[in-house]
Amino acid sequence: MANLLYLLLLLPLVGGLVNALVGMRLSRRLSGGLAVAAVGAAAALCLWLYWLADGQGTRVSLLAWLESADLRVGFGLLFDRLSAPMALMVTAVSTLIHLYALGYMRAEADHARFFALLNLFVFAMLCIVLADNLALLFLGWEGVGFCSYGLIGYWYREPKNADAGKKAFLVTRVGDVFLAVALLWLFASLGTLDIDALNARAGALAPAALTGISLLLLGGAVGKSAQLPLMTWLPDAMAGPTPVSALIHAATMVTAGVYLLCRLFPLVSLSAAGLQAIALVGALTAFYGATCALRQREIKRVLAYSTMSQVGFMFLAVGVGAASGAMFHLLTHAFFKALLFMAAGCVIALAGHENDITRMGGLRRKSPLVFWSFLAGALCLAGVPLTGGFFSKDAILLAAFSRGDAFHWSVYGLGALTALLTALYTFRLVYLVFAGEARGGEHPAGHAGHDQPLPRVMRWTLPPLAALGLAGGLLNLPAGWPMAGLLDGWLGPLGGAEVRASHALELTLMGVATALVLVGWLLARRWYARFRPPAQGGLDRFLLRGWMADRAYAWLWVKPYLAVGWLLHRGVDERLIDGGLDGAARGIGRGGRLVAAWATGRLSSYLTALALGLGAMLAYFLVRQWAGG
Amino acid sequence: MIVPFAHVLVVSAVMFVLGLGAVLLRRNLILILIGVEIMLNGVGLALVGASALWQRADGQVLVVFLMALTAAEVAISLAMVVAMKRRKGSLDADVFRDLRG
Amino acid sequence: MSTVIFYVLSATALVATLLCVTRKQAVHAIVYLINALFALALMFYLLGAPLVAAWEVIIYAGAIMVLFLFIVMMFELDPAREAQRPAPARRWPVVLISAVILACSLALAFADPAGQAGVPGYYASPRAFGELMFGEYALGVEVASFLLLFAAVGAYTVGRGDEPAGGGEGRR
Repeated sequence: MANLLYLLLLLPLVGGLVNALVGMRLSRRLSGGLAVAAVGAAAALCLWLYWLADGQGTRVSLLAWLESADLRVGFGLLFDRLSAPMALMVTAVSTLIHLYALGYMRAEADHARFFALLNLFVFAMLCIVLADNLALLFLGWEGVGFCSYGLIGYWYREPKNADAGKKAFLVTRVGDVFLAVALLWLFASLGTLDIDALNARAGALAPAALTGISLLLLGGAVGKSAQLPLMTWLPDAMAGPTPVSALIHAATMVTAGVYLLCRLFPLVSLSAAGLQAIALVGALTAFYGATCALRQREIKRVLAYSTMSQVGFMFLAVGVGAASGAMFHLLTHAFFKALLFMAAGCVIALAGHENDITRMGGLRRKSPLVFWSFLAGALCLAGVPLTGGFFSKDAILLAAFSRGDAFHWSVYGLGALTALLTALYTFRLVYLVFAGEARGGEHPAGHAGHDQPLPRVMRWTLPPLAALGLAGGLLNLPAGWPMAGLLDGWLGPLGGAEVRASHALELTLMGVATALVLVGWLLARRWYARFRPPAQGGLDRFLLRGWMADRAYAWLWVKPYLAVGWLLHRGVDERLIDGGLDGAARGIGRGGRLVAAWATGRLSSYLTALALGLGAMLAYFLVRQWAGG
Repeated sequence: MIVPFAHVLVVSAVMFVLGLGAVLLRRNLILILIGVEIMLNGVGLALVGASALWQRADGQVLVVFLMALTAAEVAISLAMVVAMKRRKGSLDADVFRDLRG
Repeated sequence: MSTVIFYVLSATALVATLLCVTRKQAVHAIVYLINALFALALMFYLLGAPLVAAWEVIIYAGAIMVLFLFIVMMFELDPAREAQRPAPARRWPVVLISAVILACSLALAFADPAGQAGVPGYYASPRAFGELMFGEYALGVEVASFLLLFAAVGAYTVGRGDEPAGGGEGRR
C-alpha cells in the first residue's frame, strides 16, 4: 500500500517524459489530456492515500541513490502530517491549472514542450515536498528552478521573455548556493541528510553553527521564494504563460522556501537570531511587495508583487514560530492566488490581450463568472472577514503580536500596515479592471481574439478554486470557533510553538484587521471607483519600478561584474595571457630558427660537432681524474 | 714483452687522432671512410693491449666484433657512395646538403 | 727483443698512417693504410692475439681494403679535383679540436696507474678464444651475424641503382 506513494512521483514524471519524447507526434488533445490525466491521477492518489500520513507518517525508500563513505542518500519519501497536505494542495491545484492550460494553450503550436515542462515541474515540486532527505529535496529544488526557467521563457523567440527566464534562473541560483552550503554544513557536522534525523539531532549543534545554518537556509528560501533581497526575478517571471504564473510563481514553487523552513522548523527554531532574521525578511518583503503592487500597471505584475508580499507573510509566520500559521497561509494563498492568476488570464483574453489595467475597465458585464471568481480571490487576498485569507493572515499577525516584545510588535505593525496596503491595491485592481466603462479605445479594433469566447475549460476551473479559497478558513479556525484549529491539531508538534493569546486579544486583533480592510476598501473606492489617468510623480515611478531594485542591482553587481569581466578580458586575457603566450611562441620560434641554423646539412659540420663532443667528454674524464686524485 | 701499457695507448691515440683529422678535413667521401677505418683500428689496438694487460681474451673478442661491424659499415657505406656518385656525379661531402634545416 | 720490435712496428704503423692521411690520391692512401694494417697485425700478435692478427690481415687488409680499392678504381677519381684542400679557416678549428683530444687522451693514459704497469706476456690460445667467443659472447656473435646479413641485403638494395621498377628506390 505504502509503495503506491511512488506513483505520486512517477505519474507526473512519466507524463512529462512521454510528452517530452513523443509529445509532438501526439495530437494536441492527447498530449494535453495525458498531462492532465497524470497530474489528476496523482491528486486522486494523494487523496486516497492521505490516511498514510496519520500518526508518525509513512516512510518508504525506493533505492539507494548516492552512497559514499558516510553519505547514504536514497530515493526515500516521507509522507507525514506536514508533507501530506502540501502534496495534496500541489497536486489538486496543479490539476486545475493543467485543465485551465488546456484551454489557454489551445492556439499554441508547441504544446508538447509546455505540458512536458509543466508535468516535470509537478514531479520536481513533489520531490521537494515528499523527500525524506535534503539531497532529494535539493534535486527537486533545482528541478523546479529548471522548469521555471523553461516555462518563463516559453515564448523564447522574444528576447524579453528569454531574458526573464535567465534572470529568474540566475537570481534563484544565488539562493541555491546558500542552500547547498547549508546542506554541506549540516552533513559535515551531523553526518546525515535525513530530515527526521537532522531535526532530532539539531540540538547537538553549537549555537553559532545553528544560526549560521539557519541563515543559509533562509538564503536558499529567499532565492526560491522571491523575498528581499533576491526578489527581482518574480515580477519579470510574469513573461511566461499565465498558467505558469499561476502554478509556479504563485501557488507552489515560490512557497517552496516556506515549506523548506517549515520542514526544518525544529532545527531552525533553535536559533533565536535565525528566527528573527526570517521574521524581519518576511515583514520587510511583505511591506515592499505591497507598496510596489500599489502602482503597477500590468495586471500580472500586480499579482506578482502581491505574491511576494503574501509569501513574506508566510516567512513572518515562520519567524515568529508559527509554522502551522505559515502552512495555513500557504494553503489558502495557493488557492486564491492561483484563482486570481487564472482569472487574470481570462481577463487578459477578454480585454483582447491587453495587460495594462489602466486600459481595461467594464469587464464585469462582459463575463460575470470571471468577475465573481476574481472578486472571490480578491476578497481572500484583501483579507475580508470570514474568507480564507482573513483567517490565515490574522493567525500570523496574532502569533506575531502575542510574542509580546518590541521586535515582534514592530513586525506586527509592519504586517498590519501591509494588510491595509493589500486591501488598497486589491480593490484598486478590482475597480480598475471591472468597474466603469471599457477604456481600451486606442486598441486596434480588429485584433485577433478580441471577441473570441473564452474556452469553457478556462472558465469552469475558476469556481472550484473560488470555493476552496473562500472556505479555506475552515482548515484552521481560531480558538473559540466550531471545528477550531484543525490544521494546528493535525500538524501537532510539526506546527511549531502554540500561540498563547487570550480570546479578547484575538477578537481585538480581528477587529483591527477588519477595520484595516475597511479603510483600504474605502480609500480604493474613493480613488479608483471612477477612473482617472494614473499619476506620474516621482514616488509613483519609484514604486512602479519596484523601488528601483533592478537599477540598484545593476549598479551594485552587474556593472562591477561587467567591469571586472572587461578587465579580465582585455587586461588579463588579451594582454597578459595572450601576450605572454604569443611572446613565448615567438621566443620558441626564434630559438628554433637558431637551432635550425646549426643543421647546415653539411657532413663536415656534423662531424666537427661530433669531435667537439668527444673532446668535451675526454676533458671531463681528465678533470675527474685530477679532481678524484 | 715489457712495454708500458701507456705506450700502447699512445700509439692507439695517435692513430685515432690521425684518422679523426682525415675524417674532419677531407672532403672526399672515400677518404673520409678511410679515416674512419684508421680510427677503428686505433681503438682495436687499445682493446688488444688491454686484453693483454688484464690477461683476458674479452678485448680480443671485442676487436673481432669491431671487424664484423666495420665490414658491415663499409659494405653499406660504399654502396651508398656508389649510389650518391650516380645521383649527383660527385663524391664531395659538402655537395650533399639535403639535410639542411 | 720484442720490445724493440714493438716500437719499430709502432713507428712503422704511425708513419704509414700519417702518409695515408696526407696522400692526395686515394689509391696511394689505401696502399699506405694496408701497410699500416700489416704493422698493426704484427703488434696484435706481439700482444698475444694471434687470431685477431690473422683476421686483421685477412679481413681488413684482404677484404675491406680491396673493396675500397675496387670502388676507387671504378670511379677513376680525378686527382685534380681530389687536390682541393679545405680552406685554412676551416682547418684550424679542426686541428685545435684534434690536438685537444690527443692531449686529453695522452694525459689520461699517463695519469692512470694502469698505464705505468708493463703489459705482461700473454697468449690467448685459439681454443680459449673460441670458447669465450661462442660461450659468453654467443649472443653477440648472433647479433653480429644478423648485422652482416642486413648489411649484405642493404648494400645490395642501395647499390642496385635507380631502376624505375625497383622496389627500394622507387621514390624520386
